[in-house]
Parts: sequence; C-alpha cells; structure tokens
Amino acid sequence: MLELEFDLVRDGFTLDVQLAFARGPTALVGPNGSGKSTVLRAILGAVPVRRGRIVLDGQTLLDTDRGISIPTEERRVAWVPQEYALFPHLTVLENVTFGVPGPAGRARAGAVIDQLGLAPLRSRRPGALSGGERQKVALARALAAEPRALLLDEPLAALDADVREATRGLLADTLPRLAIPTVVVTHEMRDVVALGGPVVLLEGGRVRSSGALDVFRASPPSEFARSLVARTIGRG
Amino acid sequence: MLAVVAIPLFALVVSTSPADLVDGLRHPVALSALRLSLFTTTTSLALTLLLGTPLAWWMARHPGPAERAAATLVQLPIVIPPAVSGLALLLAFGWRGLLGPVLDRAGWVLPFTTAAVVLAQLFVSAPFYIQSAVATFRRLDEDLLWAARSLGAGPARRFFRVALPLSRPGLVTGAALSWARALGEFGATLMFAGNVPGRTQTLPLAIYGAMEMDLRPAKALSILLVVVALAVLLLLGRGTEVDVELEAVRARA
Repeated sequence: MLELEFDLVRDGFTLDVQLAFARGPTALVGPNGSGKSTVLRAILGAVPVRRGRIVLDGQTLLDTDRGISIPTEERRVAWVPQEYALFPHLTVLENVTFGVPGPAGRARAGAVIDQLGLAPLRSRRPGALSGGERQKVALARALAAEPRALLLDEPLAALDADVREATRGLLADTLPRLAIPTVVVTHEMRDVVALGGPVVLLEGGRVRSSGALDVFRASPPSEFARSLVARTIGRG
Repeated sequence: MLAVVAIPLFALVVSTSPADLVDGLRHPVALSALRLSLFTTTTSLALTLLLGTPLAWWMARHPGPAERAAATLVQLPIVIPPAVSGLALLLAFGWRGLLGPVLDRAGWVLPFTTAAVVLAQLFVSAPFYIQSAVATFRRLDEDLLWAARSLGAGPARRFFRVALPLSRPGLVTGAALSWARALGEFGATLMFAGNVPGRTQTLPLAIYGAMEMDLRPAKALSILLVVVALAVLLLLGRGTEVDVELEAVRARA
C-alpha cells in the first residue's frame, strides 16, 4: 500500500492530494497540467513537498511534520519517465544491472531480460533500439531493481500505434503479477481498461475521483472523464 | 584581418629552414625547456582535473549566490593580465607574501621553483577547464540522474557511472583548452617563477631567453608551439565528430 497526503507548489501550480494506491496497477488520469507527473516525482522524492506524508508498506518515506525524508536512492521506488531515461552510454545489460550490482544482481537482471525477450539486444546501446525496445528495457531496468513501488509516466505515449498495442499487452500482463503498488500515468482509456485496476482522476492539482474502473466508466465524474471514456474506441 | 594573422605566422615559417629547425630543436636550451614544459603542463593539467572537476560539479548543481561568486572568481584569471597574476601569486606565496611565513615554517619554498611554474599554470589555465566543465554538467539530462537515484545509486555512483562518462566530450574540450593555455603561459611564470634554465624555463620563456643570443632555437620552438596549437584546434574540431563516430561504432557492436 502506498499512501500519500501532501501539498506542494511548483512554478506557481499547487498540487494538493490525498491518495492510497493498493498493490497492483492503478491508472492515474487527468488533463494536461493536472499534476500527474508531479505526483510521481513527489513519490520519488524529486520535487520538494511543502507539507505532508508519504508512506509505503508501513514505512514512512516522507513526513514533513516529523522531519523525515528518506533519500530517493533508499526509497526503492522505481520510476520510468516518459522518455525512459535510459543511460545512453551503457548497453541494455548494463542498464538493467545498474540498480542491482554484483553477481546476484546480474542473475536477476538476466532473468528479467529473458522474461521480456530482450536477450538478443543485451549488448546494444539505447541509441540502436526502437521505441518499443527502449520501453521494454526501461521496464526491465525498473523490475530488476526489485522495487517496492513502480511509477510509469505515460509508458506508451512515445510509441508508434502498432508497437503501442503490443506493449500495452505486455504491461497488462506483467504489472498485475508484480503485486506492488504500481502507478501508471496515461492519456488513453485503452490503457486504463487493459490495466483493469482502479482509476484516479486528477484535475487542477486535486483528486477529483478515485475508485474502480467499472464505476469510472459507468458514471464518469467530470467532463474530462466523459470524453476520456468516449475515446475508448477509435484511436489506438 | 586574415592577413594580420597569416603574415606573421608565414614569416615565422619561411624564415626557418628545415636545417635551422632541426638544429634549433636539438639545442640544449630547447630540449630542457621542452622537457620542463611537458612535465609542468602535465602536472598542472592533472591538478586542474583533480581540483577543478569537483568544483565544477558543485557549481553546476548548486546555482545561487555562492555559485555566482565562485564563477566570477574562477573567471577572473582569464581576463586579468598575466603580469598581474604573477604579482598576485608572488604577494601570496612569496617569501614576504601573505602565506610566506606559513610556507617557510613548513620548509616549503615556492618562488623560482618548478612548483611555482605549476602553480602559475594552474592559476591561469584552470578557469578554462572549469568553465567548460560547468557548462557540460549543466547540459546533463536531470532525469538520468533521478533514474539512477531511483535505482539506488548514491552520489559517487551517479557521478562516476552516469555524469562523468556522459560529460566526457565537454570535459576533454575544456582540458585541451586549459592545457594549451598552460603551455603558452609566460607572464605569470616569469614574475613568479623566474627564467631559470632547467628549473623554471618553459618553452615560452626559452623563446624569450633565446631571442637575445641565438634566434634559431627561438624560431624552432615557436614553430613547435604553433604546430601543437594547430593540433589542439584540430582535436577540438574533431572532438565531437569522433564521439559521434564512436557512438555509431558502439551502437553497431
């Protein structure tokens, strides 16, 4: 369980959220500029929080009142930003083992690489990979680190339509089995449906709604949600 | 304008026959100055990298009043006249300088030693490296460093495994510029270290010294320095291309 309750101000924009992510994937949706990426960065510890708490599986990662702030490198929260942030000078294998040095880590990374079908690419560098392959490497790198929570920021946005379909299937297949809180920021109702988990709607830096997918689909809580649900069919 | 630059260089080359060049370079003054210049510039470059890199990293990561003050201080040696730098070094580290008594008690004598040559070079040349390194570090993709942190990498691992390799082209450029400046250093060295053959007489000082006796070593060393300068320019010009090629080769591998 990943529990958040914090507010922060960034570039004049106020984000004020209170949320709980259960184990398994949760879709985080909302209009552009609603603060979705900022929520992820705050969980990661990459943007300063003005006041509040972040608790992961009972461990306090942040509590401004008690002066607690666990550094990012000790949070064991994996993060895959929109452009993946793969290390361009390292091979696929080196990228994936980055978070798990040592022989045990290498074995673990090898297993994840095999699982995601990346074995033939292990000695390539990110510059020589397609968009879909990069996305897989970023996912493999995050999973190899055995995180306690996983944050994916628009994992499919940078992909071509045909690759997107396959990668969506991979995520829908992989993420629920991880059994860790997994937050997936997306703009596509298809992704939300594929993940099948709860949906959190963020608007103007606040949580507009949070609940089961069926409820979100049956009665969209806002104009934005209605148009999102309506777009299920059509664009890939 | 081109003529203003080209004619003196042309004059330097045509006034020196190949025989003069060989004789000049074989001159004992030339050889000893060459050895000294190689030793001192290598040492000052090593010190620049060792001391300048952490400073540049800190400056790039902590923008603010302290960083701006440091940036101004670091840039000063680029614009103040070398003679002023030499005098300042003397007033700081000389026998009767600010730190003179401290150095004296420690048994260290700096002025008119090889160490003074290195210190003068460090003073005037390190800013070129630091400026270039700061600019390079600032261009780093912040998300790469956050990704590294999220994977458990502490400050040292982030720096050595991510920031440093990705900044290499900019750091090499800065190092080359800085080394070239150290190699050509004259004014501050003359004032702070003097012109002692074998000990403080670097290439530019040897050229100056030789002017009064035999012009051949002066001309030969001058041509050598022009060639070295050209090589540095070519290296810098090709620097980015080389890296792109290297990247392509790696990608194919």
